Amino acid sequence: MKNYPIWKSFTVVSLVLLGIIFAIPSIIYDESSENWFLKNKINLGLDLQGGSYLLLEVQLDVLYKEELDNFVDSVRLISRDQAVKIEKIDILENEVVVFFGNKEKIKDIRDSFFQMYRGVTLQINNNKISIKLNDEYRKIIQDSAIKQSLEIVRKRIDESGTKEPLIQRSGKKRILLQLPGVKDPERIKDLLGKTAKLTFHIVDNENTSALQNNLAPFGKIIVPDMYDENTKYLLDKRAVVGGENLVDAKGSFDQTEGHAVSFRFDTEGAQKFGKVTTNNIGKNLAVVLDGVVITAPRISSAITGGSGIITGNFNAQEASDLAVLLRAGALPAPLEIVEERSVGAGLGADSIAAGQIAAVIGMVLVCIFMILIYGTFGALANVSLIVNLFIIISLLGTIGATLTLPGIAGIVLTIGMAVDANVLIFERIKEESLKQTKVFQIVKNGFDRAMSTILDANITTLIAAVLLFAFGSGPIRGFSITLSLGVIASMFTALMLTNFLVYMYLSFANKKELKL
Amino acid sequence: MFGLNKIIPVEPNINFLGLRRNFLIFSILAILISIGLLSIKGLNLGIDFKGGTLIEVSTKNTSIGELREILSSSYSDVSLQEFGNENIILIRLQNKSNQESIETVNSVKNLIQDKVVEFRRSEFVGPTISSELLFRGFQAVSFALIAILIYIWLRFEWQFGFGAVVALTHDVLFTLGLLSILNVEFSLATIAAILTIAGYSINDTVVIFDRVRENLRKYKKLELVDLFNLSVNNTLSRTIMTSLTTLLALVSLFIFGGEVIRPFALTMIIGVIIGTYSSVFIAVPTLLIFKFRPQDEDD
Repeated sequence: MKNYPIWKSFTVVSLVLLGIIFAIPSIIYDESSENWFLKNKINLGLDLQGGSYLLLEVQLDVLYKEELDNFVDSVRLISRDQAVKIEKIDILENEVVVFFGNKEKIKDIRDSFFQMYRGVTLQINNNKISIKLNDEYRKIIQDSAIKQSLEIVRKRIDESGTKEPLIQRSGKKRILLQLPGVKDPERIKDLLGKTAKLTFHIVDNENTSALQNNLAPFGKIIVPDMYDENTKYLLDKRAVVGGENLVDAKGSFDQTEGHAVSFRFDTEGAQKFGKVTTNNIGKNLAVVLDGVVITAPRISSAITGGSGIITGNFNAQEASDLAVLLRAGALPAPLEIVEERSVGAGLGADSIAAGQIAAVIGMVLVCIFMILIYGTFGALANVSLIVNLFIIISLLGTIGATLTLPGIAGIVLTIGMAVDANVLIFERIKEESLKQTKVFQIVKNGFDRAMSTILDANITTLIAAVLLFAFGSGPIRGFSITLSLGVIASMFTALMLTNFLVYMYLSFANKKELKL
Repeated sequence: MFGLNKIIPVEPNINFLGLRRNFLIFSILAILISIGLLSIKGLNLGIDFKGGTLIEVSTKNTSIGELREILSSSYSDVSLQEFGNENIILIRLQNKSNQESIETVNSVKNLIQDKVVEFRRSEFVGPTISSELLFRGFQAVSFALIAILIYIWLRFEWQFGFGAVVALTHDVLFTLGLLSILNVEFSLATIAAILTIAGYSINDTVVIFDRVRENLRKYKKLELVDLFNLSVNNTLSRTIMTSLTTLLALVSLFIFGGEVIRPFALTMIIGVIIGTYSSVFIAVPTLLIFKFRPQDEDD
């Protein structure tokens, strides 16, 4: 073993061993094993293990619109207090314009308004005030809406019993959901499709003309029935109490009422509820969920215990889902599904099997080809190639990367490209062997000369892979990860391992001349 | 061992540069046709970039015709296709709004529930997402070209960077043109394939450029055309070897890797062939535009 430093052999051998050892858990994974080491395996992407990927978009426009409505209500209240007549209100896309009968008190109105809302843009022009949602104000609404939505989505998914879900913010107004093992996401989509805003309102039975004209007076709203669109209720706009005061909700069954949802208020909610039911005996109380009346029973007696039941024409599943939604709380704004990808376990298993076959056959073909062309040296390169594969697998497992179908394609591609560095070296050795006869000098020159080419060539591939990671999503990232790991591993195996093997081979075979 | 390596001579002497005019004309024609195809016929955009719904089902004793009959009574824009074998059917629908699509998936599933053994996958991409994905894909490819140009510029001279990017742009356009002719589905995976082709092709080009640079230092008197020819010949066996091993792996992926990965493998196979060709016949001749040495100016 001429001039081959011990430390170098040691490094190469130990790195190779580490690569093989850490690949073991992924290769002989055993679900039931208690050994932590064996659980350290590659994560499979949703496209391989089956599952659902959902991308939800928070409908911020609804919130902006709501906030503009709030502005209008507040201005109305203020001007009523100040006894100023409002002539006209224009609600535009991003601002409200209020025209007043006179302009004397307009500054006072502005000041009172600013006490309630800080940070909005308000302009006075003669007898009109325009209030605008500026970018900062929108951003505040946006951020709090996303934060709240994330929390509610997480609660709802947890309640649905999905195991190991991944829920995260994606971009400015989106939420990304990965639900492994969920084959049919219909139920999840149902759960997320409702805002579940629950409120209790006193019904106004006296003002019948409002309902006939379908025109709600100030402070009232008209809400349709859940089961019959033509049945409408005139309700106080102000809710007596809302879903935010609920502490618990459960699906329950009542002999007379059928499936129902029983709920319990917190202390504050119980007090409010008790007070309102005490003062309004004889009136009806509407339970409103997402803009429709579920039920509007008559208040026969004061309810001070802070609990009650909601009845409707529910079946068992609907009652329990509504309970889940009420427990988790209301979403600040509706969520819209903008992307969905669901893969059944069958397709995932097929993909893994096909990927394995392609990898093995690709590998065998490349190995045979290398031996045909380079003989013994080809066989040495094949050892490097196999170790290369072990290293990729162990790195994937250790860094906790996710293996996707394109990721498998990346591995197969790497098998083909990984021999490139070896080929570069062998071709250099071939050239050098024409110039001189000293075996070890030939090999040394061959490796040295090939080095800079290998680096340049592989770094450019890495640049492409890194950009793929930066701009790609989901499965494509999986591809860029395996490709990058493959490129890095192949540089190591060619420059270190093949080098080591070639030196070992030449020393032990005691070659006097080199013909490649 | 088997002496197969003798097929490619150690020091081949093929006059690649002598043929450069023919290949240049061929490539320019190919690029023009590609651009024409892309602007007239366009690419067969998958749902990633076009938006819509895709459902893959496996059936038993139900023909594709039966399913088509059931679905086309409710949807005018439904298209069905066998996927790999006759028991696996791909259903595509073009939808307008997000909400509509979610309902579509449900009602399609209900319509064919009793004819289907398994719903293998369902994908839905909304219109906002698909245009974003297309934009990001375009961005990734452009940034990759620029980043590679900068890297080559730093490591070599800028002329090499220019040559490499001309070759790369050639590869990308040529590949896209062929994808258009062959009607291969263009998806996110295709973008990945194209970026990998860019990486692969540049890899090939860099190896030859590396030799050009070395020879420029070594043979100070040699004429540029001869020097470039020598460099291509020096690296020829490596160029062929690496392309072949990569193609072996890709062909294996194409045949055995499953239906989902097939368009990706096909794109890569096309790209590797074009990339290898362009490194030799486009990237190197492009360098001839530039005068690398003072004495060349006298020629």
